[in-house]
Formats: sequence, C-alpha cells, structure tokens
Amino acid sequence: MGAISVDLAVNGLITGLFYALMAIGLSLIFGILRIVNFAHGEFYMVGAYAYTLIALGLGVPVWVALPLAFLFGALVGWITERTLMRPLYAGYTSWGLMRDEYAVIVTFGLSLFLINLVDKVIGPYAYRGPPLVDASRIVLGPVLISGHRLLAAGIAIAVILITAALIKWSFWGKQIRAVSQNRLGASLAGIDTARASSIVFMLSGGLAAFSGALLSPVINASPDVGAFPAIKSYIIVVLGGMGSVPGSIVASLALGIIESFGAVYLSYQYRDGFGLILLMLFLLFRPQGLFGEKGREV
Amino acid sequence: MSLLSVRGIVKRYGGLTAVDGASFDIDAGELVGLIGPNGSGKTTLLNILSGLAEPDGGEILLDGAPCHGLKPEQLAHRGVMRMFQLTRVFRRMNVIDNLLVAGRALGLDGAEALNRADTLIEELRLDAVRALDAGQLSGGQMKLLEFGVCFMVPPRIALLDEPFAAVHPTMKEIMGGFIRSRHEQGQTFILVSHDMPVIVELCPRAVCMNAGKVIIDAPTRTVLSNADVIEAYLGGQAA
Amino acid sequence: MSASETPLHSGGADKRSVASTSTGKSAVEFRAAIAFLIVIALIPAVVRNDYWLGVLIVSMYFAILTGAWNLLAGYTGQFSLAPATFAMIGAYATGLLCTAFGVPPLLGIVAAILIAGLTGLILGRIVLRLTGPYLALTTLSFAEIMRLVASNSIDITRGDLGLAVPGLLSSRIGWYYIFVGVLAFLLVALYALLRSKAGLFLQAIRDDEVAAARSGVDVVFWKTAAFALSAAASGFAGALYAHFAELVTPELGLIGQTGLIVSMAVIGGMGTLAGPLIAAFLVYVLSEWLRDVGGYQLVVFSALVVIFARFFREGLWGLARGAMQRWRRS
Repeated sequence: MGAISVDLAVNGLITGLFYALMAIGLSLIFGILRIVNFAHGEFYMVGAYAYTLIALGLGVPVWVALPLAFLFGALVGWITERTLMRPLYAGYTSWGLMRDEYAVIVTFGLSLFLINLVDKVIGPYAYRGPPLVDASRIVLGPVLISGHRLLAAGIAIAVILITAALIKWSFWGKQIRAVSQNRLGASLAGIDTARASSIVFMLSGGLAAFSGALLSPVINASPDVGAFPAIKSYIIVVLGGMGSVPGSIVASLALGIIESFGAVYLSYQYRDGFGLILLMLFLLFRPQGLFGEKGREV
Repeated sequence: MSLLSVRGIVKRYGGLTAVDGASFDIDAGELVGLIGPNGSGKTTLLNILSGLAEPDGGEILLDGAPCHGLKPEQLAHRGVMRMFQLTRVFRRMNVIDNLLVAGRALGLDGAEALNRADTLIEELRLDAVRALDAGQLSGGQMKLLEFGVCFMVPPRIALLDEPFAAVHPTMKEIMGGFIRSRHEQGQTFILVSHDMPVIVELCPRAVCMNAGKVIIDAPTRTVLSNADVIEAYLGGQAA
Repeated sequence: MSASETPLHSGGADKRSVASTSTGKSAVEFRAAIAFLIVIALIPAVVRNDYWLGVLIVSMYFAILTGAWNLLAGYTGQFSLAPATFAMIGAYATGLLCTAFGVPPLLGIVAAILIAGLTGLILGRIVLRLTGPYLALTTLSFAEIMRLVASNSIDITRGDLGLAVPGLLSSRIGWYYIFVGVLAFLLVALYALLRSKAGLFLQAIRDDEVAAARSGVDVVFWKTAAFALSAAASGFAGALYAHFAELVTPELGLIGQTGLIVSMAVIGGMGTLAGPLIAAFLVYVLSEWLRDVGGYQLVVFSALVVIFARFFREGLWGLARGAMQRWRRS
C-alpha cells in the first residue's frame, strides 16, 4: 500500500468515526420506535450552533462549551419526544400504516421548522467554531492531519465507546434494549417504555449535537448544515442494519473509507453519491443491513 | 374430483417445520372444521392456501389445477377468499367501500357491486354503521365486515380463520346463521376455530392437525372423541 | 360509471343513498375545488400586477405537484420524498430536448410527461416492496442522486448555473390561463380516477396491502400505476414551469421544494381533493406576502405542518368539514 493509500485510509477512518458519532443516535431511535427521525440533521445543527455561540459569544472555554452542546441537543431531543413522539405509542397497535406516515411528516416538518427558525433568529450566515487546539498540521509518517481533527477523532472514539458501554451494561441501557426488542413485552415486565424513549431521544439529540460541535471548526455552523450529516446517518443506519449500534459503527467506518478512496479513484464530484447508491441497493436487496437478521413478520 | 386437494404440504421456518406433510381433500359444498392446538400449523396452512406463503413441498389443487405459489389476488380471482384471524379491513374507508373493493376487483360493475354490498350489509346487520369508516367500528363489527368481504362475490371456497374469536354472542349468531344458510345453498368452507361447540354445531366433518400433521380427518363427533385429539389438546407427552 | 353511483342528493334519508359512500364525500370536495378554481380564474379581472400573477402561477405549479403527490401519498399511502425530483426531471427533459435537439416546446412538454412518467414507473417497480421509513429513505436518496447528477453533469446541464430554455409565449396572462387550464384538467382527471374503481383500489392499498390483495386487487399494477401517474403529472408541471421561467436549475429538485409540497398537502388535508389544492395557494401566496413582513413565513408554515400532523390530522379541509357538520346540527 503506497503512502497515498495510507493517508486516504487514515483520513477515511477518521471521517468514519465522525459519521459513527452522528449516526448512533439515529440508529437508537429507529431501534426503539421503528421510525426514521428526519430531523436528526437538525439536532446536529443545534449542537454546532450551541458550541460556536457559547464559546465565541459568551467567551466560555471550548472544553465547557462542548459538553454544553451535548446538553443542549439532549434538551431538544427530550422536547421532541415529549411533544411529538408520544402519539406513536399511545395507540401503538391500532395505527397501522398511519403511524409511519405520521412519523415521517412530523419529523420532516420539525426539520424544516428548526432550519427556518435558526435562519431567522440567528441568521443565514455561517459561523466557524473555535478549534480545540491550534496545531494546524501534524505529520504522522505519510499522514497529514490537523491537530483539531486528530483530537476530535480521539474524543469521538471515547464518546462512542462510552455510549456503547452504557447501552450494553448500564441499567437504562438494558431497559432500552428490552424496549427495542419488544415494546409490549418490556412494558409488561414493568419497564417504563415512555421514559426509555425519552432517554433515547435525549441521548440521540445529545450525540448528534456533540458531533455538530466537534465538527464546527471544520464544517461551519449554518442553518442547513444538518442536511449533510443527516444523509450520511441515513446511509449508515441502513448499511449497518436499522437499529443496530455495532452495525452502525462498522458501517460508518466503511463509508468513510469508501468515500475517501472513491473521491480519488472514482469521481470527486460524485463522492456523496456512492453512499446514496449503497443505501438504495441495501434497502432493496439486503434490508437487514450488513449484520442484521431478517425479522420474522407476524 | 374434489374441489380442493391439499397434498403433502410442507412448510419450514428455519428449524421449525410448521406444516409437515398435511394432506386432505374437500369436495364442493362441504363445510369442514380445521382444528388443532395452538402452533399446530392451521394458520400457516391457510396462509399457503391463500397465497401468502409458498410451500416448501407438496401441492395444492383447485379443481384439479395446481394453485400453490399463486399470488393472493390471483387466488381471489379463482375464488379462494380468506378471512384473517387478526382482522384486516381498510380502516380509512367506510363500510360500504370496504365491500365495494372486493366487488369491483373481482369483476362486478358499479351498480351490481353496490347492490351486493347493500344486501350483505343488511344480512350482517351493519346498517347502522354503513357510512362509518371501518377504523371506527368495534372489533366485532370489523370481523363481521371482513366476513362480508369474503362473500361479495360468492367464492369457490371460503377460508375462515377464527371468525368467532373475541366476538359478541349476537354477532357470533349472525355469522353462524350466515354460514349455515350459505352452506345449505352449496357454499364450501374451511372453518378454523378453537370454539368446539361451534365446530360441532356447524361442521359435519373435521380435520385435526397437531405439530404440522393431520392426525385425524373424520366426522366431527368421531374426531372430538378421538384419543389422539384429546391428547393433542391436553398436551400429552405420548403424542 | 353507473347512474346509481352519482350522489346528486346528499344526506337523504334513503338507506340506499350513495351519498354516504366516500365517492359521495369526494363529490363535495370536487365541487369545492372547482368553485375555488373559478375564483382563481377570475382573479386577473382584478389583479393585473405582473408580480402577483407570477406568484399565482407558481402557486398553481405547486398545486399540481401537491395534487400529484397527494394521489401517491394521500390516496395510495406511498410516502415518496421525491415529488420535486419528478418536476425537475420533466423540466430538464423538455429543456434539453429543446436546446440540444431543437425540438419544439410543445413536443418537448409531451416528451417530458412521458419521460417523467416512465421514470416514476421504474422507481415504482423498484420500491414495490418497501414501506414507511424504508420507502421514504429510498425515494429521498433517489431525489438526492438525481439532483447530484443534474448539478454535476455540467457539460450537458450547465450544472448549478442552470439551463436556458426557450419560452413559449411572453404574455403573463397567457401563462396564467395555461396553468389554470392544466390545473383544471388534472383536477378533473384525478377526480375521475378516484371515482372509478381505481380510486377504491388505491385507497385499499393505502390502508392494507394484504387485505387489498385478498380482495382481488392487483397490488403491483395499481401501486406502479400510482407512481407513474403521479410522476407524469409532476413532470408536466415541471416542464411547463421550465418554459415559463425560461430557466431550469437543479434547485427545482431540492428537498426544500419537496418540503413545501408535503407542507401544502398536510396543511390542506392529505387524501382529500380540495384541501391540498387550496392549501397550495394559501401557503405560497401567504408566504410571498409574509416575506415583506419580517420573513417568518417558512417558520410559520413548518410549525403549522407539525401542529397539523400532531393535532389536526385531516388538515384544513377536515377542520372545515367538522365545522360545517357542527353548524348544520345546531
């Protein structure tokens, strides 16, 4: 493997890490409610703004602004769940197709609302978030990388691992997995399914916002900045198997590498198209994703 | 030649063999009860008969022609009508439109379909709710409606999966009476039910399945007093 | 259609009255829609301002797209997120035929309808087994891929700069009535379709595909047909718009455009004839008007979408119908 390939692979993997951070929340929501949250990108956008404005506007240190962005995203996620998602499980069994329709409309509408609200209240201009460190070029063998990107990648790994561990071993994580597998069964076992959904939305909003904050020095915060992470997240969630967290992580890394190499060896203009084509192919021929098992229909 | 021949049907889901070589014949005009404990393969067999699942082995003949592997709508056009255990109606369409869908799809013209729908609504005593959306009906009324859909165009054979489960006694009587009178006119049925008194009352013949196999196929009284059947229902180890 | 299905007398005591069927409901909606279109047709008698006529023309463009999407999503239950894409396909189809091959615009428009319809048919066949979020994501990806292709095929489409398209006529009033005519034609066609057995079948598929198949409905055929017809109508609108604006850009296929179409249908009432039509005008005209008053229009409308979806699932039309019923009773 030549030097260029190593550089492409490392940078692709780092991009993949950021994708994973964006997408895990979307996957968790699909897992627990069987819906795609079309406002996911706007959770990301909220985080990018929260971080940038708190750090630049209030002069708060970046290391404080970063967790605050997470909290802000969690708040938006929580409000979303409380105000808009409750009908989804109030009449869970009798909704049929209308349920999917409602979820698409209401999250799609929320996405438009948040974009336009930010556009009016904060303005259509892009804000560049302050980097975590100032080192602009770090050379690691054949790999050239900015200090912020390297540090952010490290933080992303840590946050991803913590999230995965929480879901696997914590009390709430176990409840969330129980509800994802069988909502009715979980509620019969005494689990507060509504609260589990709230927590998932908070976690999802928080993680998306956190990734928005982490990337804001690279991708400036603007009202429509959420479109890009949203589409990447949809692709990853489909590739990884809808609702599977480990699947999403693997799919994120794979997508990062595919795009990194594809942009150089296939087509730079269509680098954003590879994932979309993969998404369509997967939904059509392997809807259970890379690792998922095909659910049995009842 | 019998109207419907089920010959050695096998259906596996992974390691589970849901239907394991089931065979029986049904003649035109028969009303056959299909019984068996939960998980004995009755619903899977109906799914295969109505085109919702493909068998892994065996064949089904309708009027002597193989019909397994056909799609549900093709089977509907050949006169196989299925009523589901978990009620399926068009929730955002009103009662009369629910009936018209089947009528028009099976080739009736508008006026004829409307006439039949009106007759059925009267027969099934759904008059009071005819203009309501199906989603607003009670569970029993929905069952009655779905029951009616199966008879918009008299089918060659009606496959009824637990029509009486969780239904008000009055509605049960309406359906029971309807089945009896149509049977007298020569309508063919397969009736799946756990309600043994109803099976005894309506069906002259019963087929009992257990663990995917037909364990006995005989006049209903004989079937119900059969030791294997009692064994199967009580979940004995010897079976 | 047989005479017995014509619900001329509504609300009669006759038990066999057909007015209680949903075809009866749609007759009321159709009359309301036609009345509304007559008002629209009369507006140029009062408003002569080119700017506002332009706003109304664009409203009609959206009304066609909303109606087409309503056929697919509201009546057939296929929640596609690509309606704007088919308009874009139609616009580029006629644009490229006219500029690169010198095809006359009218022929270009006809070709655009066919090309968009064919694309819709193919997409419909491909996504046949997908429902809910899976369908939404696949159509969304299709939309994004098409937009990427349009904006990156710079040699052919001139990318984001846009393609200059020959005009058809210069009179704004002329264009106004072309759009009124096309909108009226499509409305009548949609109504006729819904009144025929096709209307029953599509709604049956929307509510429960398995039950529709059990009832003998050819689900594959009708679903694909809904995709093709909806796409063809959208392509028609896009082609007209291309010659009206004399410019085609990939922006026609933006997700935001689809957002506007979904908003109009949801606010008006999905699965009703008149609601989305009226809402298309309401939303677009109000948004042009509000633009001068602080520019909060998109915030307001997107909030309305969420509120309507959450609390008034039947939209403005449902609210109006409810109010009418209460008023009649009292």
